[in-house]
Order: sequence, then C-alpha cells, then structure tokens
Amino acid sequence: MSTDASAEPEKFPNFGDSETPYEDKIRWVLTQNLKPTYLKIHNDSHKHAHHAPMRDSVSQETHFRLEIVSEAFEGKRLPMRHRLVYQMFSKEMNAEGGIHAMQLLTLTPKEWEERQGKK
Amino acid sequence: MTVVDITSESHFNELTTSLPSTMPITLSFHTPWAAPCTQMNAVFSYLSTQYNNVTFLSVDAEAHPEISETFDVSAVPFFVLIKNGKVVRELSGADPKELSAAIQELSGQQPAAAPTTRVENDAKEETTAEEDLNARLAKLVSAAPVMLFMKGTPAAPQCGFSRQLVGILRENQVRFGFFDILKDDTVRQGLKQFSDWPTFPQLYVNGELQGGLDIVKEILAEDPNYFKNL
Repeated sequence: MSTDASAEPEKFPNFGDSETPYEDKIRWVLTQNLKPTYLKIHNDSHKHAHHAPMRDSVSQETHFRLEIVSEAFEGKRLPMRHRLVYQMFSKEMNAEGGIHAMQLLTLTPKEWEERQGKK
Repeated sequence: MTVVDITSESHFNELTTSLPSTMPITLSFHTPWAAPCTQMNAVFSYLSTQYNNVTFLSVDAEAHPEISETFDVSAVPFFVLIKNGKVVRELSGADPKELSAAIQELSGQQPAAAPTTRVENDAKEETTAEEDLNARLAKLVSAAPVMLFMKGTPAAPQCGFSRQLVGILRENQVRFGFFDILKDDTVRQGLKQFSDWPTFPQLYVNGELQGGLDIVKEILAEDPNYFKNL
C-alpha cells in the first residue's frame, strides 16, 4: 500500500546531531508556522559571550536576531507580532542554557517591499 | 447575565445597535494564549453575574483585528466601558480590583449577592496572592508615564540591550521611571507572565507594554518624534 507523503503531517525533525541545533529548530518552526517569504537568522551569541550572565554558558547559541517577513503579521501591532514568535519558543527561552535573547524584525510582505523601495 | 462572546464584526454591530442606548456596555479584549487574560476572563465572567444592568461582551482580539483596531487595542487584556454610545473608560492590563470598581461605577448599582459556590480555602488564598501580585504589577507598570523594566540601573546597566535602551531614552530626552528586575525576582518572573513577554528590558508607556529594544528602534525608525509626541 502506498502512502501519500504530502498528506502526512511533517514530523518534528531531530536536531540533536546538528552543530547549530537551535538555529535549525528556529528555522524549521518559523517556516512551518509563519510560511515566511523572507527569513534571516543571525547568531549574535559571540557578541555577548563576555557578559557576566553568559560566562558559565557552554552554548554557542544564546542570542539570536531574526528578520521575518510573513503575511501572518498582517493586522497585528508589533507587540502582538513579537508575542506570536516568542510563544513558539517559550520552552527554549525558559530552559537553563537555552535561548537567552531574541531580537526580532517582523514585517508584512508589503512593509518589506516599502522598505526595499526606500533604499 | 452572562458574557456574550462576539463571533464577528457584524455580530458586534448588530448587538450594539440593538441594545437600548441607556444600557451600559463593557467589552473585554483577550487572547487565548496570554495568562493574564485567563485570570481576567474569570473576573469578567464573575462580574457579569453581579450586574444585570450592564451588557458584557467578550472579543478575541486576534480573531477580530477589525474590532481591536476600532478600539485601538494594542495590548491584552483590555477593557472598554461604554455609556450612552460613548467610550467612558478604558482599562489596560490585569487588575481585578480596578476593573471591579470601574464596572460598579458604570452600573451605578450595588453588586448582586455573590452566587453561592463552595470555595476551597487553599485555592482561594492562592488566588488572592496571585491577585495581589497582579495588582502590584499593574501599579508598577503605571508608576510613571514611561516605565523601563531593565537589568541593572541607568547608571549601571547589567545588559547590553538595557544599556542601549537607556541610551535611546536619554537621546530623546525622555523622563522615565525604571525598575531593576535583577533586584526582585518576584517582579522579574511575575512580569513575564503578566505581560506575556519573555525578555527584558521592557518599556511601558502609560501602563501599556511597548516592547523591548528592537521594537523601540523600529518605532523610532518609523516615527522619530514618537517620544516627543507622548
């Protein structure tokens, strides 16, 4: 019996073998939930490695800066857009040695185009 | 009376136009995922049993952005009190005592006798402690027109983002109150729940969360006079 692979919900991948498990997970979760037209993930952890709270940290993935362009942000003010994203990573952000900070740029495709036009 | 859940903008318009204009209305804006909303939904529901001369309407703010836009809702929970077709008061945040007092004023009546329900003593005490914390946080975020919850103090910030945000406020000559969340873990954890926001610094304007450093930078990029116009 053949199975229609496209009908099966995409199973949560295992990121344990990756060198950048958090970055991979962030990309996967955002792509699944927001279907972004543009997504850029910057790992700024090295910029904060010397801060007191980070000195005991072994993770290389503590501070992220994300640029997300998605229709899902339409009609939402900035705090609501950010909450939408934060909510997807609440486990990681609450975990010991997890994600410490996430700077976000959240735009709708229209807003993104307007910005490109201004440049 | 029970709380009526609004299912669409037309449902909302139908209801508000069909009611006698003398009947006061109170609207609650909430989202399913914000913890303070769960608490306030229970408070709102309880208040609806206490005042039968007020119409209680509930709106899922994210499901109905048009209605949220009409009332300029940017944070939940949010309550709008309407009398004679005019908005007489708006409340932002989770303060059960404040909401209760405001609705009593709107109604002009004494609250009905509380429905008899058996309450576990332990559960009741826990609720009071949580209510107290929320009441304290609601006061704290409104302690100054511009309130910054940061790591460290403006003179000695303990985090790069907090330092940058202080810098931005100073550049824009904003008078602000601040709270060092490193000194009070109850507030630090409590505020994360209260505002459903996992990180610090957090900037509040008139008791409403604006966001962190990234949002403030965005706001200023769009409107450099944002702070001047407050």
